Amino acid sequence: PARARHWGLIPVLGYSLGCWSLSLQEAIQLDGQILFSLLHKVSPVAYKHLSKQKIDPILYMTEWFMCAFSRTLPWSSVLRVWDMFFCEGVKIIFRVGLVLLKHTLGSSDKLKSCQGQYETMERLRALSPKIMQEAFLVQEVIELPVTERQIEREHLIQLKKWRETHGELQCKSPPRLHGAKAISEAEPAPRKALEPVPSIIVSPGPTPVPKARKSKEKSREKGPASPANGPGAEGNGAPGTTRELLHPQVSPHHQSKESLSSRESEDTYL
Amino acid sequence: MGSADEDYNFVFKVVLIGESGVGKTNLLSRFTRNEFNHDSRTTIGVEFSTRTILVEDAVVKAQIWDTAGQERYRAITSAYYRGAVGALVVFDITKHQTYDVVDRWLKELYDHAEASIVVMLVGNKTDLAQAREVPMEEAKMFADNNGLLFIETSALDSTNVEEAFETILKEIFHKVQKQKQRSSQSNTVSLASENPSSTAPAQAERRPCCVAL
Repeated sequence: PARARHWGLIPVLGYSLGCWSLSLQEAIQLDGQILFSLLHKVSPVAYKHLSKQKIDPILYMTEWFMCAFSRTLPWSSVLRVWDMFFCEGVKIIFRVGLVLLKHTLGSSDKLKSCQGQYETMERLRALSPKIMQEAFLVQEVIELPVTERQIEREHLIQLKKWRETHGELQCKSPPRLHGAKAISEAEPAPRKALEPVPSIIVSPGPTPVPKARKSKEKSREKGPASPANGPGAEGNGAPGTTRELLHPQVSPHHQSKESLSSRESEDTYL
Repeated sequence: MGSADEDYNFVFKVVLIGESGVGKTNLLSRFTRNEFNHDSRTTIGVEFSTRTILVEDAVVKAQIWDTAGQERYRAITSAYYRGAVGALVVFDITKHQTYDVVDRWLKELYDHAEASIVVMLVGNKTDLAQAREVPMEEAKMFADNNGLLFIETSALDSTNVEEAFETILKEIFHKVQKQKQRSSQSNTVSLASENPSSTAPAQAERRPCCVAL
């Protein structure tokens, strides 16, 4: 999960900081169009209402998408949404947007007070706390039948439309990577798996190390898997241990050096 | 905030534009809620608020729209200006650069808004007079030469904020009244014109946001 979270940050940053002005404007407008056409399937009533009032998607979704809902939802919901987003990718952002639109403008009853463009915008700015509530929102997002494929297909359609009306894109973005799995598969080799790095590295040579402890550790590493995760190994993360058990090809010399240094730092602090 | 069944004679949409950090959002909050936020965050997308005031004998509901000044959030443009009958072009009197680019903001405004839009140049942050970089006379002259209203304000200490909005709303109101007299059309006609694209050389009173009851 730590890894998923880490790589998940890239789309967020890429979206908000990635390219400069023109391409960002294009990206957000394009996503707005994609969101809007998906809304057609999710909630025809809301779609019709927004079309009728000529409310451009960028008027309400810019902040949603650029801040990944952090300025919109209560914090507990933001955390849940981000968790899903980092793991499953951008479809979560689209789905959250669609759920909010559906439950705000999705029935004629709800539209009674949205007579004009301004009233509708106001409604979208002051969303009902009920629909933003963590449990409700997450359930709705999970159940919403909007897949990556649909988003990709809609992306291509909107891209084509964009080229017809605006000409070529200023900035060609690489294909969207849907979620942590796709991201890690797209860049497999050069990136090492995330692993804890000891913050203090003591050169192994001259430092005196209690002998008994060192040998105890070595013997533990040779044993079956279980002790590595035992209470002894956990405290300071014992970075070497788990990894080495999984990758026995690592040279024994290197092994002992790493576990030594981590032990060292533990000693320093204790 | 205003609900749909409020009683008013006119709705005027007024947009705030200008460089990032000149105080657009605080002008909005000062006028509509009498609030000022010292560490307000940068606007992303749009914000808006309304306030209903009396202009002469008419009840006018002012819808003030506020958007990001940062270049990279400028995708909003045409959707943002649609239906606006007034615009405040805001600069910071302590930062000459924000005044230098007023020209660019005016160009964007006239590219996207109706030609009849009432525009006011606003020099904000007069509470920081000791750090002033834009002389009032200079800005006033620029405004006169370009047919803009002009005022200096401080959203922080409230100076002239009411006056700024009241002046522009009054000006819009007079324009609407004049139009109404010129074209002897009734209120119902102005109401009927719901489609912005059909009002090519637009008259303020025929704008969809400008509803006469």
